[in-house]
Amino acid sequence: MTVLPFAHALVAREDLPVPAWLFAWGASIVLIVSFFALSAGWRRPRFEEDRWRPLGAGVSRALLGWPLQALCGLVGVLLLGVAVYAGLRGTEAPDRNFALTFIFVTVWLGFPLLSVLLGDVFRPFNPWRALGRTAGALFRTVAGQPAARLAYPQRLGRWPAAIGLMAFVWLEIVYGSSGGVVVGVDPHAAGVAALVYSVYTLAMMALFGVEEWCERGEFLSVYFGMFSQLGSFAVKGGRLGVRRPLAAASHWATVPGSTAVVIASIATTSFDGAGEGAFKGGIEWLFERFIDAGLGLTFALRLTDTIFMALCFAGVGLVYLLGVRGMRTIHGAPSLATLRSGFAHALIPIAFAYLVAHYFSQVVFLEQAQFTYLLSDPLGTASTDLFGTASSGIDFKVISATTIWYVQVGALVVGHVVGLVLAHDRALVYWRDYRDATRSQYWMLAVMVAFTCFGLYLLSVANA
Amino acid sequence: MRAHGAGKVRRRAHASIEEEMTLNKHAKRVATLLAALAATGALAACGGSGGSDDDGTVSGQFEPVEGAPGGYANLTGEATLERADGGTEISISLDGLKFDTAYEGHLHSGGCDQADPGGPHFKFDPSGSEEPPNEIHFDLVSNGEGEGTAKVSSKREVPQGEAGSIVLHLAAEDDEVSSSATGDEVETVFVHEGEHHDDEGHGAEDEIACAELEGGSGATAGAATEKTVVVENGEPVGGVQELEYSAGEEIAFRVESDVADEIHVHGYDLMKDVPAGGSISFSFPAEIEGIFEVELEGRAEQIAEIRVNP
Repeated sequence: MTVLPFAHALVAREDLPVPAWLFAWGASIVLIVSFFALSAGWRRPRFEEDRWRPLGAGVSRALLGWPLQALCGLVGVLLLGVAVYAGLRGTEAPDRNFALTFIFVTVWLGFPLLSVLLGDVFRPFNPWRALGRTAGALFRTVAGQPAARLAYPQRLGRWPAAIGLMAFVWLEIVYGSSGGVVVGVDPHAAGVAALVYSVYTLAMMALFGVEEWCERGEFLSVYFGMFSQLGSFAVKGGRLGVRRPLAAASHWATVPGSTAVVIASIATTSFDGAGEGAFKGGIEWLFERFIDAGLGLTFALRLTDTIFMALCFAGVGLVYLLGVRGMRTIHGAPSLATLRSGFAHALIPIAFAYLVAHYFSQVVFLEQAQFTYLLSDPLGTASTDLFGTASSGIDFKVISATTIWYVQVGALVVGHVVGLVLAHDRALVYWRDYRDATRSQYWMLAVMVAFTCFGLYLLSVANA
Repeated sequence: MRAHGAGKVRRRAHASIEEEMTLNKHAKRVATLLAALAATGALAACGGSGGSDDDGTVSGQFEPVEGAPGGYANLTGEATLERADGGTEISISLDGLKFDTAYEGHLHSGGCDQADPGGPHFKFDPSGSEEPPNEIHFDLVSNGEGEGTAKVSSKREVPQGEAGSIVLHLAAEDDEVSSSATGDEVETVFVHEGEHHDDEGHGAEDEIACAELEGGSGATAGAATEKTVVVENGEPVGGVQELEYSAGEEIAFRVESDVADEIHVHGYDLMKDVPAGGSISFSFPAEIEGIFEVELEGRAEQIAEIRVNP
């Protein structure tokens, strides 16, 4: 019956705010653990070497051999195609269209989880990498030589990925507003954006080379790759192996712009979490000032949200840089630039904790939709029932609100501890004397406590 | 991904604060009134009130109210409300009254635990007259041993859950009693003439006892208070209404709308059509925890937010 614009949110259920008592417990545990960490610090670095050792050759051959890799690439390209097609041709009801849940939940929130558990699994599925490699192979066959490419400007480092990450979240949250109401990006816009991004990515790959661009500029590869540093599984020299968890992260941030990527990750999640809670008053205030100044509703809201998103990035960055500045004052400290990139990897667990805390429940609920009706009826027009699951729904009872709270607070506390461990370990590399190293960590401790308590605070006021 | 309801508070940022506040107050008053009148529709159905059974008969024991005049410490008695053939019959029997004294009583819509016991009088038509037959009143005269009975009937059926309680007062002097014999029982219809009491007229000192029928709230497990969301011009009066419940309770609310649309309860995924100028009731157990939108589907307008706490 409905011909008017759909009002379905992608998310039919929102999380309840974490109750005050749980907030208090979480924050107390964080503080106690932090002081304990200061006194019980070890004296020699333990995570500088990842002690990678290969798994059996058969495993590597099976998983990394071309048949499976080609199949993964094909699946990736196919799913990208379905997402774009569903976005452009499917229903405008966000929750019934394959495109939105696939892009913003399954890929965006699913791969960080998978990456920590299984390693960099996005790499084989990356549709642009698969297309780029295929094009490269075709060119070699036809031309008899590899395609010429430009040298990637090393100073740019991962900055394109940091910007891509911010742009992605901007599209997801800020762009999708109409008449002064945040409605979320619509499927059509998401489909167009995926097409535009595909063209841009393939062009960059042609210019700078497929692997080079995946390593630095393709923000999904960089973002998921960052989380895979925390896990145990990694490929080296064509062999799959296991390594000491967390250890790989310690060398991830040496590429310029990596710090910006971690900060952008924390900032975007904060912004999303704070929009309905901590920043609501501020956003409304600024929005009304813009309306009074005669701006249109949609433009005013986008402008307000853009400013708050930028403020989040600046705020998170500032807290980190203050910590770095503080460490510089400790006797024997290396240069500011060294410190700045040297401790960035300690924020990866915090970024991951933020992600789990804010999106865990959505993944649990929306993946039910992804693997049932969205897969059977990608367009959401009831025209197909590919797997016979088109009429399924989401069971919201699979996890209780209490479970969600414990996961949220637990994730932040664990992320905090892991961040402290990585930071302490790195300090032992920079300061010969472990007492100086510990002293330097008062600063990082303050940074971490600030992030974790801010994270807890966001949870406790979200939707309150 | 933020739920799209995020914008709900930003909507109509230009509306003046005063206007919002007036709307709010108005909506609250309307909601309170309707909620009180429609109180606990699901209560009887869930068996929350001890004396109810399937055919709509409820009964309750009289207890002296707080601040009752002296001399009623030994008061006992029972009130029974019977629904049959589209009508309602209430029987009262009391002991421990003063000898040869005239009393009066009314069916109230609220429970005995309210600050003003029973709350407002029950009315068949909420905006109608304060006199019978729109209300149910009765009169009772005790005998020489402090006993008294009364029976009153109405041709209309008191809706399930709306018979809150029976409150007994001392008869006011300006009231006249007309009686008509029906069978062996005396049906007394209480008639106010000329000046009549308004609600404040029954000071607490007049009230003697209260018998709980279906008006119990809070203390009664599973009690559901039906709330009402009023939609005017396709928008919720007083902004998006917050309905809060604990898991396991009954979620019961009504939507009164001046526009025809489909009401969609997200998460629970319930849909019902509401006609223009009509209303529709929802009643379902709060079994999914979290925050859920209720919206006018066709207009994409959020009208309420349901919170289910663990």
